[in-house]
Amino acid sequence: MTIAARISQREARTAATHMPAQSMEARELPGSHILCEALVREGVELMYGYPGGAIMPFYDALTSYPMLRHVLVRHEQAAAHAADGYARATGKVGVCVATSGPGATNLVTGLATAFMDSTPIVAITGQVARPFIGRDAFQETDVIGVTQPITKHNFLVRNIEDLADTVHEAFRLAKGGRPGPVLIDIPKDVQLGKGMYRPRASVSSLEYFRATHVAEPSPEAIARAAHLIASARYPLIMSGHGVILSDAYDELRAFAEKACIPVISTLLGLSAVPVDHPLFLGMPGMHGPAHVNRAIGMADLIIGVGLRFDDRVTGKVSEFAPHARIIHIDIDASEMHKVKPAAVPIVADAKAALSALVEAVEPGDHSAWIAEIRGWEAQEQERLARASREQAYPDPRGILDAIYAATNGDAIIVTDVGQHQMWTARFYPWKRPNSHITSGGLGTMGFALPAAMGVKMGVPDATVWVVAGDGGIQMNIQELATLKQLGLAVKVAIMNNGYLGMVRQWQQFFHNHNYSETPITGPDYPKLAEAYGLYGMRITRREDVATAVRTAMETEGTVIIDFVIEPESNVYPMVAPGSAITSMIEEPVEENAHHD
Amino acid sequence: MTEQAVPIQPPRRAGQSTVPQDDAREHILVLFVNDRPGSVDRVVGVLRRRRANMQTLTIGRSELADVARVTVVVDDSEVGVEQLVEQLRKVVDVRHIVNLSTAQAVARELALIKVSSAPGSSSEIIELGHQFGAHPVDVTAETVTLEVTGSEEKVTKIVELLQPYGIREIARTGCVAMTRGAANADDSNNQS
Repeated sequence: MTIAARISQREARTAATHMPAQSMEARELPGSHILCEALVREGVELMYGYPGGAIMPFYDALTSYPMLRHVLVRHEQAAAHAADGYARATGKVGVCVATSGPGATNLVTGLATAFMDSTPIVAITGQVARPFIGRDAFQETDVIGVTQPITKHNFLVRNIEDLADTVHEAFRLAKGGRPGPVLIDIPKDVQLGKGMYRPRASVSSLEYFRATHVAEPSPEAIARAAHLIASARYPLIMSGHGVILSDAYDELRAFAEKACIPVISTLLGLSAVPVDHPLFLGMPGMHGPAHVNRAIGMADLIIGVGLRFDDRVTGKVSEFAPHARIIHIDIDASEMHKVKPAAVPIVADAKAALSALVEAVEPGDHSAWIAEIRGWEAQEQERLARASREQAYPDPRGILDAIYAATNGDAIIVTDVGQHQMWTARFYPWKRPNSHITSGGLGTMGFALPAAMGVKMGVPDATVWVVAGDGGIQMNIQELATLKQLGLAVKVAIMNNGYLGMVRQWQQFFHNHNYSETPITGPDYPKLAEAYGLYGMRITRREDVATAVRTAMETEGTVIIDFVIEPESNVYPMVAPGSAITSMIEEPVEENAHHD
Repeated sequence: MTEQAVPIQPPRRAGQSTVPQDDAREHILVLFVNDRPGSVDRVVGVLRRRRANMQTLTIGRSELADVARVTVVVDDSEVGVEQLVEQLRKVVDVRHIVNLSTAQAVARELALIKVSSAPGSSSEIIELGHQFGAHPVDVTAETVTLEVTGSEEKVTKIVELLQPYGIREIARTGCVAMTRGAANADDSNNQS
């Protein structure tokens, strides 16, 4: 029997097995089974991982729990990113599994990515048996010490009796408040040993959150906020990841529409408000369009919802929104005043705070202010229309437009990190809520492909496109094998400029064109796709872009398109790091090129 | 409430890129931490990562069997400390944090000071110690070891006065502190 046949047989078995009602009776079980029982009780349906010595008892138990579907990745980093992608797309907790030592350390980048972007994942790692801990045993790493700064919390399970409760607490912590990664390190002898499993004695996170209300805003803070909103002349709503995490799309729109306040969105907040909404302006910050950054410069009130005033958004902090009071809504109290002092800090869930604000504010009219910003936007568009561009290559914006057209805007777009990420954030006409998945805070190259795997499995009905650069796609490219093995359809668009483009752009602007170690080659992608049993194309002409995207949509399974773009195109505008966001490097326009 | 009640730039905040670090002073933070392996490590990790300017750190048991009491003295501005406290609060093993100002608190540290004694000078050293409430805990032909308890200033002062005799070794515990009055430090009205 071929491997594929064996796998499909197992999948079929999995599908045929109805989830049996879990026994709630106290009984003696091996630690590995207690772990599986607790995961089932947490509603886990999917996990990504890689077996190895110290986690083998868990993998042995796994075949007795067909409702726990496990995906074998090709590198543990991909397991963490896939769990992250799954969590971002579904709002559920993503789960990844690795063995001790190198398995666990390979998770580190994925955990740090999830930590920076507040996504709920639970990582389970095997650990050497308790008597060997601290003795430099084979594949022993102090993963508790290593992951302490990049997890919300981590646990070393010292007793079988603590195992079930630890799992439930880990899920509670991952999801509760500001979400984030939690790691459970389980020594091999704890997995192997037998202990009493008492399900009635512990509370799963599902039961816990059913009984617990979200963090409500204080009425005083809402009243103060409403008062500031009523008197503001140039207000802006700045929408962040928290809006997506708390599923506050309707509340955000209702608030913006009632108070008639234009909305700008951080990178991770994109797609919460559709781009064609009359109040939506765009993304602020280092690569934000000029009219958005100008609006911040003039604003007298900024209502920041579920964000942390990252330095890529603020630029030079003292010159960010110099005339504005800040109303800061975030579920994490430690974000208040961290970067920008808030006139009204509101520590609450974004959904709860926004629905309270909808009630508290009076209908407003800021159409003159909005018209002024739209005027700046039109001027900018007009200027950019005069820019002379290389016409031969497929252009990044055209690729994004083709993807939008071929998917009716319903696709989920997973980007990697670099120029393509900024182009996608800027130019893709976001329509579907939560359709933009990217590594924002950590900026992790190699995120997109494995994350897309988690996205596609979490939302199987959605079309999932990866947009990546030719640098980042070569980190974690091995996951093409996983995608093939799973028969998953992820469409991959590589914007290939033969450079580590964003670094090259910085070298051009700030290092006197010294392109140190940024030219990069890659494989022949169609051949690479073929080697993995997939289909690939190389597109070098602008007129072939739309056809290629349509072909990718019509072809079964994962497809790679290698778009050869202009080698030295830049992301404009750009704010130099540490500068005021109102001081932008703009796209050069030839003075003698007139188009009247 | 009038509009003027909400200033554009509310509290000045050291450690922020917009505000200089000039309004720093000492704060005594008392943390009640679950007495589990690694819990203090997590607290110290946050202090390091958030660049706290830590003066002393003292760990010991509390009145509760499963709770350790951690006393940290940091040098920072009012608002910088608030920020640090919020970060420390996120450590799962931290139950409560109290920011004790020196006015509210009894703050003490203990020091053992081993001083060289020439023949005849040991009684002089012991006499000097008495003026500070210090008492000798070990006397040899060459040395006198004094134990002194008091405020940080008091310990620093006796160390200064003992310098001429030749100090061989100093062991200081760092600050521990408790609220004045009947209330406990972790009573809710005292929590910062």
